[in-house]
This record gives sequence, structure tokens and C-alpha cells, in this order.
Amino acid sequence: MALYILRRVLQSFFVLLAVGLVAFSMFRFVGDPVDNLLGQERTQADIERLRDVLGLNDPFIVQYWNFLKDAVQGDLGVSFRQGRPVMDIFIERLPATLELALISAIFAVVVGVVLGVYTALKPKGWLTNLILTVSLVGVSLPTFLIGILLIYVFAVELGWLPSFGRGETVQIGWWTTGLLTGSGLKALILPAITLGLYQMTLIMRLVRSEMTEVLGSDYIRFARARGLTDRSIHFRHAIKNTLIPVITITGLQLGSIIAFAIITETVFQWPGVGLLFIDSVRFVDIPVMASYLMMISVMFVAINLIVDILYVIIDPRLRAGENT
Amino acid sequence: MKYLLLSTALTLGAAPAMAETFKWASTTDPQTMDPHAVNSAPVLGFLNNVYEGLVRRGKDMAVEGALAERWEPLGADGWRFHLRQGVTFHDGSTFDADDVLFSYERASSESADTASWFSPVSEVRVVDDYTIDFLTNAPNPLFPSSIANFMIMDRSWAEANESVVPAKDVETFATRNTNGTGAFQMVERQPGLKTVLEPFDGWWGEVEHNITRAEFTPIQNSATAVAALLSGEVDLINPVPIQDAERLGASGAVNVIRGIEARVIMLGFGHEADTLKYGANAGDPNPFRDARVREAVAKAVNVPAILQTIMRGNAEPASQLVSPAMNGFSAANDRRPAFDIEGAKALLADAGYADGFGFGLKCPNDRYLNDEAVCQAVTSMLAQIGLDVELDTMPVSNYWPELRADNYDMYLLGWSPGTFDHEHPVRFLVTTPNAEKKLGSWNFGGFSNARVDELLPMIQSEIDPAARQAMVDEVTAIYQSEHTYVPLYVQPLVWGTQANVSVVQRPDNFFILRWVTKG
Repeated sequence: MALYILRRVLQSFFVLLAVGLVAFSMFRFVGDPVDNLLGQERTQADIERLRDVLGLNDPFIVQYWNFLKDAVQGDLGVSFRQGRPVMDIFIERLPATLELALISAIFAVVVGVVLGVYTALKPKGWLTNLILTVSLVGVSLPTFLIGILLIYVFAVELGWLPSFGRGETVQIGWWTTGLLTGSGLKALILPAITLGLYQMTLIMRLVRSEMTEVLGSDYIRFARARGLTDRSIHFRHAIKNTLIPVITITGLQLGSIIAFAIITETVFQWPGVGLLFIDSVRFVDIPVMASYLMMISVMFVAINLIVDILYVIIDPRLRAGENT
Repeated sequence: MKYLLLSTALTLGAAPAMAETFKWASTTDPQTMDPHAVNSAPVLGFLNNVYEGLVRRGKDMAVEGALAERWEPLGADGWRFHLRQGVTFHDGSTFDADDVLFSYERASSESADTASWFSPVSEVRVVDDYTIDFLTNAPNPLFPSSIANFMIMDRSWAEANESVVPAKDVETFATRNTNGTGAFQMVERQPGLKTVLEPFDGWWGEVEHNITRAEFTPIQNSATAVAALLSGEVDLINPVPIQDAERLGASGAVNVIRGIEARVIMLGFGHEADTLKYGANAGDPNPFRDARVREAVAKAVNVPAILQTIMRGNAEPASQLVSPAMNGFSAANDRRPAFDIEGAKALLADAGYADGFGFGLKCPNDRYLNDEAVCQAVTSMLAQIGLDVELDTMPVSNYWPELRADNYDMYLLGWSPGTFDHEHPVRFLVTTPNAEKKLGSWNFGGFSNARVDELLPMIQSEIDPAARQAMVDEVTAIYQSEHTYVPLYVQPLVWGTQANVSVVQRPDNFFILRWVTKG
């Protein structure tokens, strides 16, 4: 057991190193940062000098090694674009992304489960058909378009909600939160729906099919035979068994919510790390791009590692397989 | 002091009474608040509201006094500036000649991006507290107008905050904090999110605006910016996407302000290249070395059609490397080759390419307004005279390295003269490249003409305006007859504002807050 976990940790470590290596080998194709840093009146000598200062003349393996060496000590380098430590910028931007991801996840789970259960219980109702049709549309439209549509309806036409930004925020230590102010909460609604819509549909369909399956199983039929009320059968017995796969999926999807926040953040000018990443690609801000990619891959690797370890703990069959 | 009181009293009476918060949005956040670290329009444009130079540009781009009240040439040796007295920085310290000397040293240091402004300067000498001399190597009639964006920083503030030299690779105090003499002071700076300015009560000038607080937010996505304007969350956006301009203007709820930018969009060629590098004829001798072929390109591109369709009537054709609004515009040469397919074909046949040839056109897709669409149009227009263009478009971060490595047969370039003078594009685009003298650094194709090289230093030092213009006209005639570049059009400026906002739009695309009134 301990050996298995150790092996998985070691594997994860190599996955991270590989991601970093691929990222750094790609940066050469993103373009040259010096043109964004120097004005029109730069000379070839200025270009060479700056490339040297920034270490861009080194082979990418050397650049990668220098990045890793500093990153291990908690130093992610200095942003080319802002001229400030990447760590400081991340600390400023992370709360916005995490809050948005959290609210989107809550929205996706709550609405997804409620609609999923409803459509399973009333499989032939007109409302069910409507929900399923609309959700199909929601899944097929790109996030970008959904965001713009929501902005035009709720910000431009109705004027109820802001079209961009995070509203007023409150500072708690290094964390800034928009959850404590009216304008902050209003600003969260549209981006959270945009970001969570896809996951919401996914969860809804998952809950619906699981619930339909569970409702046809033997123990539910026995429960009916015992004369339990519908309410007790549906919400005490059926839903519990439905939620197990939902929880697994939600956990795994949390990572992609944070990663997919890039598009939502761009549409709503949401000041999180995703917007920062898009900006850094445009300006070839290598330290920021590298740090962001490493952060996202650490997150995915960690989530998968935890899930793998939990499976081993829960499912004895996986442990038995080790000895064969 | 008396003057200060008087001007305050005047403005209290004159300015509209309502107190207003003004919010504006643009695509790019200024990457630093240090006026000497980065020489780029978003940075200098923004900081023009906070810092001031010895001179500044007025609503019509004319140079006027700012921290210098007046200035005069010291014969052929340079310029003497008489400084304004009673000016204070935002932190309350007094402005004098020593701050100008310090700012000169800071802005011309090796790590400063603005050092090229001072390449003609040999020495700066403080005469007394309010008089300072800038000595130049040769007579330099344009020097005052070339330093309109040279902003003055307080020596004691910079020294106290360890920001004596500007830096790009580390953060200094001046990266996120300011202390200028301008009409507005910065009260909050969250890079990439929000920057807040408030009027400076101790400003020396006469207040024309009625803004009590101004908030700048970068909005990268143009659809989001348009939505923010329509929903009333911002008072101004820059730019308005060309394709939305007409619809927005017609809606009546917002104003669309159109103008002409200083930027001329043109096609460039590989003048020195021996062979073509791309397309069907890669490896064959380079036809663009022949001026007749370049002229054929100029005649085959239907500029009015491009302006009508892609620019939706918002731009104007260009005959030369600067727009008519620039100093030194050559009125004598204000003709561009007319659209003439037959003429173009005849020129090609003359040059020995009656059947046309294939080559590669490089083009950015995120640098200029609708740049990719313009290149696609050029591609199909050139097909009509038998030129088979292999178009390759890319983001600008990849584009400049390609041009520097000479990986093109023909390319698209936009040029906005930093000094607003015709000499600027001649120096950077037409003069023979010479790294040592810092000449021709954007002349990627390596065009070279002995007469142009001879005329440039004479233009730079000629005091008499008429004699200078005659020489500029001669250079213009040379690069036009050689078809060194094919100037296409002057890029438009399109801003959108709320109906109750009045602003001044300058061709340098700087947004000047002190001319804004709201309500």
C-alpha cells in the first residue's frame, strides 16, 4: 500500500517535470518578448542586450533548469510585462479565480442535481423535455458565445447586472473577496453561470441516468412493496446511491473549472489568473506562462493522485491486483 | 502664488459645476507607471495625465510650453529652456532645474527606453534654478518637439524611494507609484485591473475639465468593451471595433468619434534579397529589386476599395510615409499611384514578368486594425495581374522576429512617427541601415539611396523651415519614384463615448483627461 502510494507520487513528479519541459520547448514558438518590451526606437544592440538580461539567448533546457531552480525556492521569477515578481501577481489574482470556480461549482452541483432528479422522476413531462432541449443547446454553444449573450441580455438590454469586472472587493489578509459586497455578488452571477453551465449539464445528465437506473433496481421495488412513501423512496433511498458517481465527477471537474476559467475570465474581464495567462501569451511573458502552466498541472496531478489513492483505500480489489 | 489664486478663482467660475467620476477602458493596460522605462504609446499616453514635460502637445498637436514657459535656440549649440516657477510635485516638493537635470540623466541612462530621444544631446547645463541648457552636437531645430513626452520626475522623491534608474527586469518604487506635476495624481494602482486618478489641487494650469475622479480599466475583449459602453458602465472606450462603429453611432445612445491616427500602413519589399524565399518561384531571382515591379504592385492594389469594404469608410488613402497632419508632410508629392490594372500589367511585362510570378507575403494578424483582412484583399488584387501570393499571417510576437530574420518577400508595416515629423520615418525606414549611427533600424528590406543618406543629416540640422521642407520634398520624391514602400492608407481612430461626454481626440491616440467634460 505504502509502496503503491510512493510509486504514484514519484510518477506524478515525473509528469510535472515533463509538462514543464514541453511548456518551455513551446515558448520559442509563441514569439519574441523583446519587441513588446522595447519601443519603436530600439536598436539591434538594445535587442541583444535585453535578450541577454532576460536569459533568452540560453537554450530552452537551461532556461527551464533556471526556472525550476528558483521555483523550488518559491521564486517564480519576474514578469516581463509588469516587471514585478510573478508570485506577487499570482497572489493578487488567485482569489478572483478560486471564488469564481467555487461559486460555479456550487451552482453546477445544486442546479444539476435538482434538475437531474426532477427529469428522472418525471421522464415524460413537458418541462423535462424543455430542460433537456435547452441543456443541449447550452452544451453545444461555446462558452464565449454564452457569455456574450448573457452580457447583452442582462447587462445591456435589462441593465440588471454588470457586464465586466468583479465589483467592489473586501480585503481579508492577502485574500480579496467579492462575496461580502452587493456589487461583488452581482458581478459574480453571469460569469459563474457561464463557467458552470457546461458542468451543470454534465451533472444533470449524470444524475438523471443514475437515478433512472436506481429507480428500476430491486431494492427500490422492495421499498415500494413495503409501502414507503414516494418521498422517502426518492429522497432517502434512491438519491444516496445516485450521488456517489456524481461526487467523483465533481471532484475531477473542479480542476477543469479552474482551467476553463480562462475563456470566461476573458469575456467578463474577470481579474483572475486565467485573464492573466491570456494577457501573458499576447505579450510573450514567459515567467507568467510557465508559472501558470506549472500551477495548473500541479493541480491536476494532485487531484488525480488523491482520487487514485482514495480508490485504493476504498476498493480492495485494486490492492489485491498488486500481488499478481 | 498670486497667479495660482487667480487661476483657481477663474476655474471655479468657469468650469461646469457638477462633480463627476469618469470611467474609461482601453485594450492595453500601461505596463508600468515609470515614464522612462518603456517607450510605448499606452504608457506615455496614460502618464501624460500624471507627469509633465518641459513642453507638451496641445489639442491640435502643436507644441506649447508646460514646465518650460519659453525656450530659445543657443545659436547652433542647442536650446535654453526657461522654467515655470511656483510649480510643485504631487507630494508638495518644489520643481526646479535640478529635477530636469535628474530626469535627463534618468531618461538617458542605459536601462531607459527613452534614451534615443537624447542621442543628439552632448551636455545638459543648469544655468540657475529656473534656466537650463540642452547642448546638442549639431543644430537641432526639432529638439523641443522631440521631447514632448520626456517627463520630469522629482529628484528627491526618486532618491528617497530608490528609483534613481528605470528598470524593466525588476520592480522599483516608480513602477507602481507616481509623483508628477500633472493635472491628475494617481491614488490607486492595481496593475491589469484598475488605475484611479484624482485632480491635483496644486496644479499650475487652468482647469478645463469637471472630473473629480477618473478610473481606468483595461478590457481586452472588444465585445465586452462595447457592452460596457452600451450598458453605461464606462464613459469611453478606445478603440471601437470598426465593424461595430456604424451600428453604435446609429443607435444614438452613444457617440462614435472618428479621427485619423498618425499611423500609415504600407507594403514593404526585400530590396537586397537576391532570390525569392516563398511561393511558386522560391529560389528564383528577386523581381522586387526592380522598381517597375514595385510600381506594378502599387498600381494593382485598389486602396479605395479596401477603405470602402474593410475599413468601412473610416480611413484615408496615404501618398507618403506620413499623414497630412504631420510636420514636414510633402504637399508637393501628395499623389499616390492610381488603381490601374492594365498599367500594372504593362509594367510587369516591361520588367520581363508578363506571365507574373509567385512569392510570399508576411502579415501580422493582431497588430493593426483588420490587418489580416487587408492582406487577404491585397492577395486577391495582386492575383489580377498574375501575381500568385502565398499569404502567411501570424501574431505580432512572432512577426517582428520573422522580419528581422528577413523571412519574407513582401510584408505589411504600420508606422507612427514618434516625433510627428517626416524626418522620423525617413530615418527609420528609408535610410541605409547603420547600427552604429542608429539609422534605418526598421528598414528591413535594406533599401539604400546615397542621396537620401546625404539629405537626412542636413534635414536634421536645417534651421530654415523652407529649406528644410525642400529637402524633405526631395527625399519624398525619391522614395516615391523608387516605390521603396507602397503606402496604402492612414489608420483610423475610433472612440466611443456616452452622449453626455465631450473629449478631445488627438492623432497620437493619447487620451488627455484634462480636456474631458461630463454632464
